[in-house]
Amino acid sequence: MSGSASALGDATFLSALLDTLIPSSGKRGMPGAGGLGIERDVAASIAADSAAGLPVGGWLEALYAGTPGFATLPAAERTGAVEAHAATNPAAMQALLRRVYLAYYQHPTVLVAIGEPPRPPFPEGFELEPSDPELLAALKPRQK
Amino acid sequence: MTNEPVGVLIIGAGASGGAFAWSIADLGTSVLCLEQGPWMHQRDYPTNFMDWETRASGPFAPNPNVRRLAQDYPVNDSESPIQPLMFNAVGGSTILWAAHFPRFTPGDFRVRTEDGVADDWPISYETLEPFYTPNDRMMGVSGLAGDPAYPYHEPPLPPLPLGATGNVVARGFERLGWHWWPSDSAIISQEYGGRAPCINLGACGSGCTQGAKASTDITYWPLAERKGVQLRTNCRVKEITVSENGLADGVLYYDADGVLQEQKAEVVVLACNGIGTPRLLLNSRSERFPDGLANSSGLVGKNLMFHPYALIRGIFEENLNSRRGPTGCTFWSHEFYKTDRSRGFVRGYSYEGSRGGGPGMSAVWGMATGRIPWGEGHHEAYARVNGHVAGMVAITEDLPDEANTVTLDPVLTDANGIPAPKVTYTLSENSRRQLAHAVDRGTEALKAAGAVDVQADPLMRTAGWHLMGTARMGTDPARSVVNEWGRAHDVKNLFIIDGSIFVTSAGVNPTSTIQALALYIADSIKKNVGELFA
Repeated sequence: MSGSASALGDATFLSALLDTLIPSSGKRGMPGAGGLGIERDVAASIAADSAAGLPVGGWLEALYAGTPGFATLPAAERTGAVEAHAATNPAAMQALLRRVYLAYYQHPTVLVAIGEPPRPPFPEGFELEPSDPELLAALKPRQK
Repeated sequence: MTNEPVGVLIIGAGASGGAFAWSIADLGTSVLCLEQGPWMHQRDYPTNFMDWETRASGPFAPNPNVRRLAQDYPVNDSESPIQPLMFNAVGGSTILWAAHFPRFTPGDFRVRTEDGVADDWPISYETLEPFYTPNDRMMGVSGLAGDPAYPYHEPPLPPLPLGATGNVVARGFERLGWHWWPSDSAIISQEYGGRAPCINLGACGSGCTQGAKASTDITYWPLAERKGVQLRTNCRVKEITVSENGLADGVLYYDADGVLQEQKAEVVVLACNGIGTPRLLLNSRSERFPDGLANSSGLVGKNLMFHPYALIRGIFEENLNSRRGPTGCTFWSHEFYKTDRSRGFVRGYSYEGSRGGGPGMSAVWGMATGRIPWGEGHHEAYARVNGHVAGMVAITEDLPDEANTVTLDPVLTDANGIPAPKVTYTLSENSRRQLAHAVDRGTEALKAAGAVDVQADPLMRTAGWHLMGTARMGTDPARSVVNEWGRAHDVKNLFIIDGSIFVTSAGVNPTSTIQALALYIADSIKKNVGELFA
């Protein structure tokens, strides 16, 4: 879809942008955000935000139009382009990051990488550490 | 649909409406509740799905202006630093609440006497005590008896575990010698009343799929319906109608198809929260009540109180698995609850322990507070934050001020064309000082607990859960809207049972007191039914 007139419709652009925002880390065993197939979810949520009046869609289109060949740039140049564009509208950048972070950290591959089970919270739930008996013992003499 | 006249008509099926309906059913007359929202289904709650954090901030967001569901009405909050939050469904805001369940203290009903500010309530802790206790049983409350900050009471279930987050922060309070106590929580720690215990989903704020967190759709309402109460959902009341003799005689409401219907009733009860109730009263203008119903005092919609909140969070070296467990129910502290004028403010605040967010919201919080960058340093920073956060919120006592109001917006309407509310609210200097004090002392506690980094939001914007004071209770009709048992001074068969009738806000969550009031008012009606129209 490279060459599309729309940032949200250009999966190659979006993938490169996501990898710029959350690159892979061999040291941490973390995948880059661009290789998880979350572009469509991110695009849909940005479109919904834009419909609700948030400026992120238009702002992203400006990055797309102002940085031809973004996906083919070296990583450092992509980072520089995003940094410069973020400075033009920090609120839009935060809205974009919110959408990217939520999509990324809900992906099963990422959940496993950060030590979480790759499932919804329900129905298994989670174990919770018990109350520290020493703390509870300290309350005993204060009980009314 | 039949609109046969009923004995008691309740508007709103939330925290107070559910409790009241269950109790008033014993009166032996027909009881109907109209609720603008639907029944909720636990299978639809976010924690059933991989994208639960996205859903929690969309269709389950606490702000109706963000959620924008068909059953919601918009609120113009452009002139308030705090956004009002609510949920419209059977169960009301108890669907999304954290279920922290403190009672008011005896002194909270005597603010004028103790500190010379605001007003005393016309009732006392002792008036409500007989209703707090059965309400605890109906909702299913977990806690530890004997908190020296309160008169003795025994929660029906043992306390929830503190978890690693609660343990670490409580140790900080312990080291400083400050009061702390495991919270009373409307979350069941053991199987209770056919409900399964908490399994620590960590998402109380988007509905409890387990059903361990009490919401009135699974506590009071099934029992109220079994007693014969009718509950009609997706019905939005437009106005309360009055008879020639000045009594409330029913309502006009839009049904689920948007058709205007008329429902007659002998007694009308408002349970629409501190914004919805004054909105409805102000929308119920007539020749006899040109300024809105029950508003001869001019106080309907005035004295709006929130609880201004501060959030203080620490980052710890150890992994606390901080997204696991009830979101807000660990412990509370009343160390700074009572007036000490050397602090520079009157009244005080409570702390409530809180946990960290889910994997996605941890990243969002880290971004918003400048702790997690995008790009190369992202993963290292994220690993330091996710699971490592524990902290507290401070809930400050908001004092009534007639300049803080709910009025009708001249332009904004809901989907049925009913004028929407506008909130005008200014944070007082007293509240500002309380919040600053709470941030400083909370930071001290977290450092004592071993936090390596502390972050504070000194005034949370998305925190207007507690909506109080806009139809206040009192014995003087010139200075209050309802009397000491919730009856409107101006309209003797009209009752208000939600947070609107609070005289002062205390510095703790209000739902336990809202429900105790609802039960107390239902009891008062039952006792006085023979003289109700005399």
